[in-house]
Amino acid sequence: MLLQLNHIYKWVKQGGKRVFLLNDISLDVEEGEFISIMGPSGSGKSTLLNVIGMLDEFQEGEYIFDGEPVHSLKEKQRAKLYKEYIGFVFQAYHLIDELTVYENIETPLLYKNIKSSERKALVADMLDRFNIVGKKDLFPAQLSGGQQQLVGIARALIAKPKLILADEPTGNLNSKQGEEIMELFKELNTEGVTIIQATHSESNAAYGNRIIHLLDGSKQLQPQN
Amino acid sequence: MLKNYIKIAFRNLWKDKSFTLLNLLGLSIAFAAALLLAMYAFFDLSYDQFHKNKEAIFQVYYTEQTPGGRALATSMPVPFAPALREELPNIKHVTRYMSDGALNLEEGKELNLRLIFTDPDFFEMFTFETLLGSADVLKENSKISITEETAQKLFGRTDVLGQSLNLLINGRKEAFTVGSILKDIPITSGLRFDVAVNFTHSPNYAENLDRWDARNHSVFIQLDEGATPSALTKSAASFTNLHYQGNIEDLKRDGAQPNANGNYLELNLLPFKDMHFADFSGDSLKVSRAYPYMILGIGLLILFIAGINFVNMSIARSAQRLREIGMRKTLGAAKKQLFFQFWSESVWIFLIALLLGIGLSLALESPFRQLFNTPARLTDLSSSTLLIALFISFILITFIAGGYPALVLSKLGTLKALKGKLDLAGKNRVRNVLMVVQFSIAIVLISGTFVLGKQLDYMRNKDLGFNKEEVIAIPLNGKRANRQNVALLRNELAGKPGILSVSASDNNLGLGRDGSTYFSRMGFDYKGRGVATNMLVVDYDYPETLGLQLKEGRTFSRSFSGDSLSIVINEAMARELQEKEPVNKQIILDDSITYTIVGVLKDYNFQSLSKKIEPISMFMNRDWDLYYAFIKIAPQNRVQSFEAIEDAWKRIEPNAEFLGSFIDENIDRTFKRERTMTTIISSGSLIAIILSCIGLFAISMLVVTQRTKEIGVRKVVGASVAQITFLLTKDFLKLVGVAFLIAAPVAWWLLSQWLQDYEYRIELHLWIFLAAGLLAVFIALVTISFRTIRAALKNPVESLRTE
Repeated sequence: MLLQLNHIYKWVKQGGKRVFLLNDISLDVEEGEFISIMGPSGSGKSTLLNVIGMLDEFQEGEYIFDGEPVHSLKEKQRAKLYKEYIGFVFQAYHLIDELTVYENIETPLLYKNIKSSERKALVADMLDRFNIVGKKDLFPAQLSGGQQQLVGIARALIAKPKLILADEPTGNLNSKQGEEIMELFKELNTEGVTIIQATHSESNAAYGNRIIHLLDGSKQLQPQN
Repeated sequence: MLKNYIKIAFRNLWKDKSFTLLNLLGLSIAFAAALLLAMYAFFDLSYDQFHKNKEAIFQVYYTEQTPGGRALATSMPVPFAPALREELPNIKHVTRYMSDGALNLEEGKELNLRLIFTDPDFFEMFTFETLLGSADVLKENSKISITEETAQKLFGRTDVLGQSLNLLINGRKEAFTVGSILKDIPITSGLRFDVAVNFTHSPNYAENLDRWDARNHSVFIQLDEGATPSALTKSAASFTNLHYQGNIEDLKRDGAQPNANGNYLELNLLPFKDMHFADFSGDSLKVSRAYPYMILGIGLLILFIAGINFVNMSIARSAQRLREIGMRKTLGAAKKQLFFQFWSESVWIFLIALLLGIGLSLALESPFRQLFNTPARLTDLSSSTLLIALFISFILITFIAGGYPALVLSKLGTLKALKGKLDLAGKNRVRNVLMVVQFSIAIVLISGTFVLGKQLDYMRNKDLGFNKEEVIAIPLNGKRANRQNVALLRNELAGKPGILSVSASDNNLGLGRDGSTYFSRMGFDYKGRGVATNMLVVDYDYPETLGLQLKEGRTFSRSFSGDSLSIVINEAMARELQEKEPVNKQIILDDSITYTIVGVLKDYNFQSLSKKIEPISMFMNRDWDLYYAFIKIAPQNRVQSFEAIEDAWKRIEPNAEFLGSFIDENIDRTFKRERTMTTIISSGSLIAIILSCIGLFAISMLVVTQRTKEIGVRKVVGASVAQITFLLTKDFLKLVGVAFLIAAPVAWWLLSQWLQDYEYRIELHLWIFLAAGLLAVFIALVTISFRTIRAALKNPVESLRTE
């Protein structure tokens, strides 16, 4: 088992009342799964991804990642954990504007203190694999949305994570670009990377091998059809 | 990693050009100003510090309990130094020191030389390097030491050992042999001279050899290793009681109170290294390095203001980098790494600014030296300890000003940063506090400029009780006897148009172009009490030439034959004598000579305006020398009259330099320190204002950008341009208002402290501070309005569309 959420609650106080962002979420994820989280806006998809990605805290419940109890870890250890095992892909790509494609992909390696020669080799592999060698010296602003997201995924993959968290990865893309990205995810999944994506789109969700429906922070039981 | 940081740092700096430029501009101005001010201050602090024995050398001074209170004196009698050496333990060296002028009598080269009379020990104690000849050359009475520069001037070369030299000293011609050549005196030396001769050549040496009541020179001593000055002061008690017995008895008789140690007259020691900073004029010795430290402080304040700008701009700008921060955090950046990244970006800016600042200060060095009238050089700062100190302060500034924003940025929560949400309320508080501090400093400096300027103006324009605009003072530096030259001047100028009268005295008013100052005082017994007065030897027509007001009696007159035994005093002297009707009262000097008071002059400021008017007595004894001629001219054609006087002097003394100047120039010259201080504070406040405005401008730019949407919405719902401008301006004005409330009392206190030093001073009025505050408000308004009005005028459709 890669990760396990047990009765996670997360709320904010509004006018003295608790508003639940996550309400009793339990979830087991095995290695090699491709999970799609669906739900309308504000249903808690992003929050759930952020909690899984350890970027956000929760008030109650247990979270075990790769055998480690995340809820009782200190921030530093948590950071070490996600740095090692998790890659993020965002709807708005979140590339660093001042860095070139090459440098953007390289950045996670810098933070992992990997040697220069090894970095070069890894980044070159990645550029090769995504067919963007020719674009390595361009800045994000010079790329199309689809290409930017490609770089975003390459960057998420460079540190060889076990888990990729993708928050509406195709939300800013047209349908053709979106399809390409989803195909890529599928391919990665078959290579063994665990993927959890949040999405609005039924067709994108269908790429996953399990779909979780969220509404107002709660898991909805929907008949599988 | 480092390469990555550098790359992104430069790309960021390049991307935000206006920010980078404003910061570079502000910081490099600040670095340049701070460097120049540090140069000035360190130069002042380095005075007299080059002597190897400076720790062991002391200047001797008396503390005397007079009936009027405590008084300090550095003048010593001739037998004092030899007696000290004989009678007190732990004294390694003693030297007497008296400076005077001499005229070189070589044919065609009449040069005025600065001469000192001193003892052979002088060169053992002080570090004035001997280049040629031996250091103890003064042991031979007829041998002298001259500096290299002087040798060059006199002989055109420096290997002049054994050359003979005829000098005219106080009207006496004496022949000397050059016994040693000294390296030129460092500019940071308080002891300055061209020629050193044995003390036995000093004026009236033989008469004063055993007189303990005639004091005319300074004495320096060097203690044995391990000896303390306090031990010496203690053991000197019996020495003073023995040698100053008569003096002490007089003090007791006049009702003086002994000091805490039960002494009426005490010998004290001033560490030589403090000499440049010592003030003997009060009732206790004041050693104060406040002036250089104040200048250093202004430099630091300027740096501080620029640092604040940097911090404020960096934090305000961080909104634009939130996404990057968030992203880097999700990519696994630790706080430490983010901190280092942002800090290193700051370091680059600081480094570039420092280099620009150094360049700027080098470019401004010579105008600065001129403006502030200082011989200091930037290369003076290159001593290793100073460099290290400067380096450390640079690192510190970088660490604080660059580190704080970096810390704030690196501490942001990942998600918040990613979503671009910045909790600005807290940051704004820091920003506001910093801006208040900044404007407080500016307001204090502006008030300082106003008050110093006003005080200087007041001192310049104050009626001193004599005519300073139409009187020219000429130092009598000719070859002939001075009295003879005065008579010749009278003849030459008699009947010339524009010349009203000619007189002379033995002291100048203000500081003449000869650069010499001295005072002469005496004490005597009057009706069983000791009284003290300043002395002035004058020629006929002195009060008339200077335009001094006669209160009663008469002045010296050619129609009275016995006037060499008459004296004219001022009102303060009449009070000192406690005589309601002093005219015709008699005083006895030197045990036997009776002088009669013939007239009383109204008080006039013959000394610095920092002092109360003291008693003065004028003598017209023809046996005493005169050193300055005074010529009154008509108010019209001042230039022609001045030239006529110069011509006359040139005819009388063709080889002597003409150093005549109007007395108001001389008075002005005494305000050198005040003028420099005013210039420094006003340029300091100018820079402070400019820097604060750069900061304000940048902040207003950012605030306007952040509120573009708000402005658009407000306009759409009907706000006018004026209302929006007011809305954007009022927050800043509030800050300036708070700054005023803080700064005004501080400035008031500081400036009233400073004014305490002046007996004659301006009153502090509230409006001075209000004016400073209003000026700051006005400048702030203008600065902000550049951006706010533009934002308010913008078509709201535009600003809303961009959202």
